[in-house]
Amino acid sequence: MSFKAFIIGLTLTFGLPWVITIVLPYSFMRTLETVNYAGIEEDGGEGPYLPKRDGRIKEGSEIYGQEGCYYCHSQLIRPTYAGSDIWRKDWGGLAKTLDHHDTRRETNAFDYQDEAVAHIGISRVGPDLSNFGRRVTNALTLGGITPEEWVLNHLYNPRAKKGYRGAEDQNLYKKSVCPSKPSLFKTVDASMARAGALKVDAPEGKAIVPTDRARALASYLISLKKDTLHQKLPKALDYGPKTEKAE
Amino acid sequence: MADTTQSPDQIDIELRSSIDRSLRHPVMFFFTSGAVWLAIGVLLGLIASAKKHMPEFLSGCGCFEAGKVDAAHMNALIYGWGAQAAFGVIIWLMARLSRKECRSSGVILLGGHLWNLGVMIGVGLILAGKGSGVPWMEFPAFVWLLLIPSYIMILIWSLVQFQIRDAGHVYISQWYLLAAILWFPWIAITSVLFVYHFEGHPLMATAIAAWFKSALFLLFFLPTALASAYYLAPKVSGRPVYSYSLAIFGFWALAVIGPWAGMQKLAGAPIPQFLPYVGAAAMILIALPAVLVGANIINTIRGNGEAVAQSPSLRFTIAGVISFILFGVLSAVLHTASSLKITQFSYTGYGLDILTLYGVFSFCAFGAIYFIVPRITRREWLSRRFISWHFFLSLYGISAIVCCAIVGGYFQGEGIEAWNQSFLEAASRAGSYGWGVTLAWFFILISNLFFCLHLLLMWARLGRRSSHPTLLKASHAESPHGPEGEVDNYGTANGPAETSAH
Amino acid sequence: MDHTRDNPLKRFSAFWIALLMIGLFGIACIILRPLTHARQETAYMIKGEERLQIRDTIDRAQKAALEAKKIDDEAVSSFAKTLNKAPSAGAMAVPGAAK
Repeated sequence: MSFKAFIIGLTLTFGLPWVITIVLPYSFMRTLETVNYAGIEEDGGEGPYLPKRDGRIKEGSEIYGQEGCYYCHSQLIRPTYAGSDIWRKDWGGLAKTLDHHDTRRETNAFDYQDEAVAHIGISRVGPDLSNFGRRVTNALTLGGITPEEWVLNHLYNPRAKKGYRGAEDQNLYKKSVCPSKPSLFKTVDASMARAGALKVDAPEGKAIVPTDRARALASYLISLKKDTLHQKLPKALDYGPKTEKAE
Repeated sequence: MADTTQSPDQIDIELRSSIDRSLRHPVMFFFTSGAVWLAIGVLLGLIASAKKHMPEFLSGCGCFEAGKVDAAHMNALIYGWGAQAAFGVIIWLMARLSRKECRSSGVILLGGHLWNLGVMIGVGLILAGKGSGVPWMEFPAFVWLLLIPSYIMILIWSLVQFQIRDAGHVYISQWYLLAAILWFPWIAITSVLFVYHFEGHPLMATAIAAWFKSALFLLFFLPTALASAYYLAPKVSGRPVYSYSLAIFGFWALAVIGPWAGMQKLAGAPIPQFLPYVGAAAMILIALPAVLVGANIINTIRGNGEAVAQSPSLRFTIAGVISFILFGVLSAVLHTASSLKITQFSYTGYGLDILTLYGVFSFCAFGAIYFIVPRITRREWLSRRFISWHFFLSLYGISAIVCCAIVGGYFQGEGIEAWNQSFLEAASRAGSYGWGVTLAWFFILISNLFFCLHLLLMWARLGRRSSHPTLLKASHAESPHGPEGEVDNYGTANGPAETSAH
Repeated sequence: MDHTRDNPLKRFSAFWIALLMIGLFGIACIILRPLTHARQETAYMIKGEERLQIRDTIDRAQKAALEAKKIDDEAVSSFAKTLNKAPSAGAMAVPGAAK
């Protein structure tokens, strides 16, 4: 084998997968065609499908990455040929109740907008977070504390005895291995804290308040609502089993 | 009076000696600095693993928060230890095999310091919460502006040496080294540009990062490890490579299959569907080069069990080659569609990563280091025991990782896939395996403290002056190397060395 | 020893060939960049059209309502004069100041 033959061989064996798995899919995914609703009568909506997200997505996503959350949490509800995520309680959405339809769906290509990198995740030491915001908001609909407060308490210390809604919550989170993130919070004088203080134990005369980083992260986590509760899927994207129309 | 004509052997010995002399500073730098980063990376790995089942471990220390410490652990291991060990092996081996002295040691050493600076800044920023959030590429994007030029400063000379080598046989190791030197910038520059600088779909950024992660092992660390194994196995056992044509075939099998792998980490994600499955297929097919190359190298030393038992270099290298075969088989079993569902988000991925980085690459690198350092420092290793402990503790550690992370991860994944069962059930399964992984890292940490200490002593010129290499078994009455004596390997003022160079 | 391959010229060219080979796929990325960066029409842009139309209507209506000429030049200039005057002790009581 000559040097020239080697270089040509190496370039070709590398270049072909490079073009086929990197360049072409990258360019294809950039110019993804919109998926449109078939019309108000047929599909319940008009125009392109765009899952709306509400919160500090770009910033929060960056902080999520910096804090390394993706080492233990995934954000991908896989189609059923690739995994059983959609069947697990509350992962893909909410089960049908008297108030709303079954809101579960798989992750689609429009779900990671505004994020620089999709935090698919490396492992599931903790649960999938695609619908974390939905779960928190849904659990707190009866009042008590706001979702933001709940999330901030959880970030500060997932195993804290205070700050959570009730004994059921507390029991569940006693065993959590989610790390405490004290670097996202600061200790200030109690007089300076105003309403933002966390309801956790703090040293005498002091209070724990979230930094802006914590707020951004909490906002991002609460925005994780990738289901169909407020936004139906167009028929073209709906891979669920066909059921009869409600009412 | 003195005989002025030199035998071809003499010329060869002097050439080898001058090559070793010319490279002694950069190579020792890479090995020692790499060993320190290895200790740091393993310690961080221990902390990261402990926090997965003991979340309050070190919770007082803000800089070791879980997540950040995981990222710092991986990056310290890959870029601090792995890359530098690879650099040391590549520059020495290419120089020796091309029979060219190195004239650019100064530039290489400067490149090495710049590389270290980049890694230090990168790991520091990760722990400070300023990483990039991209798996295995957590260094902030600007750090690559330091890493890529220093890479070129370090390794371009090896490409030059290859091109100006004397005509004749090209060793299989040289092809592997050449490929590794070129593949790394190809994958790194592509990934850095696509992930950080081109604006595209976030899922493709993740996909390309996953491809980089896989290609970093298959197309940089693995070829470097195999180059070293293909050099040491024949060298230490005294036989030629079992089959040169099988070796060439194995190389091209890797070159054809390797670049397709990586995106199986995104199975089920809304990207073009063929991408993850082509990746999974490549990970299954990788068993082919693994088994062929493994068989080739094992057959080279077959029947010479004595050499494997005696020689630290060969023992570590063969352990690395066996790990490679094991990796090939596990990869083939774990990437079928049904297994992929289960293992995609479990400890298994981490276990395979550590099997490749530590079991395959690091073991082969240790083999190379135990061979090279005596030659460039002109001293022998001080303690047979340090080497033995390094070997056995590392072996226990990596076996524990295979059992707990890879196999345990499979059970963890099954628990998560069993959607009827509560998540807490599956998560608590993971806790037990987590303890196993932490214990494994503990063994590996102790073993590397032995290694690091031993290497630092050699770096401090405190090695044994002897013509006899430090072997793992107690010396026989008749050593194959002749009687023990205070002989300077490379000759004294009175004349050239008498023993044949090894 | 065969000296024909190891001379300064060969070393020089080998260096540049090596550099070219290292940068090969980096250069390829940059050359192919325009191909991969075609203009995208995202759902956000399509939905934005309607929103931008509304915005446009409002902008024009506001512009028409707020014609600068209609604002009293007199009022503006006298206000400016007041601002430019040097500060003086006003008639307002300042707590704590000596009377």
